[in-house]
Amino acid sequence: MSRITAISLALILILGAGLSFYFFLSVPQGIGAQGVSASYNSTELIVLYANAQGWNYNSSHPNPTIYAKTHVLLEFKVIEQDNLPHTLTINPGNSENQNSAIVSVNIPPITGTVVWVNWSFGQPGTYTYWCIVHPETMVGLLIINSSTNQTASVVPNSIQGYQLSNLSIGNIYGAKFET
Amino acid sequence: MIFSFELAIFGSTISVLIIMFLLLYFYAQDYRKYLLEGKQEVIQERSQENAILSNMKRELSFAAFFMDDSKSIGIRYIITSLLFFFIAGLAGVGMRISLWNPNPTFLTPIQYNVLLTEHGTLMLYGWATGSILGLGYYLLPSMLKIKSDKLGHLNSAMFWFYFVGGVLLIFSRSTASWYFYYPLTDQLTEAGGGSYSFAALAGVLLILTAANVASIIFLKMIFFDRDKSIRLSKLPLFAWSIVSTALLILSSAPVSMVADVMLIYDLINPVFFTGSNGTALGYAILFWFWGHPIVYVAVIPAFGLIYELLPKYANTKVYSYKSGVIGLLLLMVLSGTVWGHHLFNSGLGTFWDLIFSTTSFLVAIPSAITVFNWIATLWTGKIRLTVPMLFILNAIIDFVIGGVTGVMQADVGINELIHGTYWVTAHFHFILLGMTTGMAFAAIYALFPTLSGGRRYNVALAKAHFYLTALGTYVMTVPWALGGFQGMPRRVAGYFGIFQSYQDAAAIGGIILGIGQLIFLINLVYSSTKPISVSNENILESEVIYGE
Repeated sequence: MSRITAISLALILILGAGLSFYFFLSVPQGIGAQGVSASYNSTELIVLYANAQGWNYNSSHPNPTIYAKTHVLLEFKVIEQDNLPHTLTINPGNSENQNSAIVSVNIPPITGTVVWVNWSFGQPGTYTYWCIVHPETMVGLLIINSSTNQTASVVPNSIQGYQLSNLSIGNIYGAKFET
Repeated sequence: MIFSFELAIFGSTISVLIIMFLLLYFYAQDYRKYLLEGKQEVIQERSQENAILSNMKRELSFAAFFMDDSKSIGIRYIITSLLFFFIAGLAGVGMRISLWNPNPTFLTPIQYNVLLTEHGTLMLYGWATGSILGLGYYLLPSMLKIKSDKLGHLNSAMFWFYFVGGVLLIFSRSTASWYFYYPLTDQLTEAGGGSYSFAALAGVLLILTAANVASIIFLKMIFFDRDKSIRLSKLPLFAWSIVSTALLILSSAPVSMVADVMLIYDLINPVFFTGSNGTALGYAILFWFWGHPIVYVAVIPAFGLIYELLPKYANTKVYSYKSGVIGLLLLMVLSGTVWGHHLFNSGLGTFWDLIFSTTSFLVAIPSAITVFNWIATLWTGKIRLTVPMLFILNAIIDFVIGGVTGVMQADVGINELIHGTYWVTAHFHFILLGMTTGMAFAAIYALFPTLSGGRRYNVALAKAHFYLTALGTYVMTVPWALGGFQGMPRRVAGYFGIFQSYQDAAAIGGIILGIGQLIFLINLVYSSTKPISVSNENILESEVIYGE
């Protein structure tokens, strides 16, 4: 063992450990870690049935487009329907993008399991909500409009003016689905 | 084609790399010729060259990566497993520091999970398996006076399987922990098993393939290739421990490999372990059928090394050769029957729980035979406290502590309480740090005159390495055992505030351990600057004649 061998071996071991450590820590933080839920002035309930063939597949409007406002805490009540693993994943933009997801919650594959996902959006825009396991079928849009009133006063649910009678699942809770 | 600056840089980098590798290859061939000087007239084919090289005293050298005799393969494995040891060790120290406060100090949960998985997989598959294969390849040819070494190319290919497997484990950044349970592993997200956890599965498959082929080659070496003068009843105990390990690998690893392939297939078409079939437990059973034997794979060769080294530092013979062989072979048989104790809380049923509990208690018998054999050897001998001997004594004490804490877990009732707590972590770190890691370093120190080409290691630095490693082990694992018995959960990035004193003590222990291993590197570099002062004989290969 020459001196060069020993020194290069020590360097390789230390550099290998350090670089690998850096590489491990640079793992994408993507889901659930990029954003913080914004402050909210009011709450709103949205019920989603998780089914591999589509969100709310048994309703007349599967994969509904959901309209909501900024600074409203959206309380997603996600109900397992088909014994298959699902996630509720939300990312900004019109299409699915796992790496920019701000919310991703696993739904246990036992029918009837209810998972609550609470999130308040600070930025208006179009978001995509989907299931990582079934990205082809379980995907819908979530359109967030800016709230004109960002004070602590409660914004009435009816201000959006959607016809409640056209809503399918979840209408009694005041969620606003596209008709 | 349009010229671009990036393309030029890329092309020149690749060509430089290729030229460097070609140069290294030719240097290695030169080195080979230099080693074989004066023996050209007897060499007719490559296997004869390999046989001569395998019986030489061989130094630690990067040329080994381009030579395919058994000693070179051993040196390759030793160097690579040391690399994996340092990578996984730094990951472990990182986890300890992050757990200083109940709220993680600098790691997010995902980063913590990556470090946890890399620490577990690289330590077990990279360091424990790799160092054992390395010492086996390095020591067996000279211990058994092997005259032929015809499978060099196969050994070489299997080393690259192992190396690429380890690299895949690193690059996968899996978060599924070392057992890759379904369905977590097949959720290819950072919050699931990691985006590329299938790469980790492929890496494990490659490493297990290498271990299987190496096991077959070890068995061939021991039973067919050994010199006729060595009768089976005079086989070195290290060779018996390798027999035990090889049979254990061959009988259990394929089961886990099948399960890994099923997991990879489930990514495309989930048919094997899907929840609706109720067979998620099926993967756990297939995995632990191998998952428990691998712990013995890591430990039994260390037993063999103790049997080889202990009598030489105690100036006596092994107290009882026969009970040593019986202990090693009984460990092999019994350890194949205890895997169910990892699943006491998973619903195998009371009947099976009691069967696995009984077999787990029975493992205490061969372990005790072995330990009493060592104690009796020490009793009759005159002890020299060299650095390898310190590692050996510490390994025996650590093994007794780790063994007793392990037997306690075999009780189904106690297991209910301590399952998934740091108690378990403390139990196997006592054994894997004290026994596997300690004995690997003891072997490296014992081989040092040969590995360094006739140099001495600095005794003060080596003792510092030993004392810091031993102290770090106790400071880290005793608080784990204490906290674990009160329910401190393992595998989590944060914890409840009441456990902070235990975690802080463990963090100090982890840092001490890390500093100890750095001193080993400093010693390596420091001693290489000293002139050649001793012969390159070592006590593990003392009967070998140079070049024959």
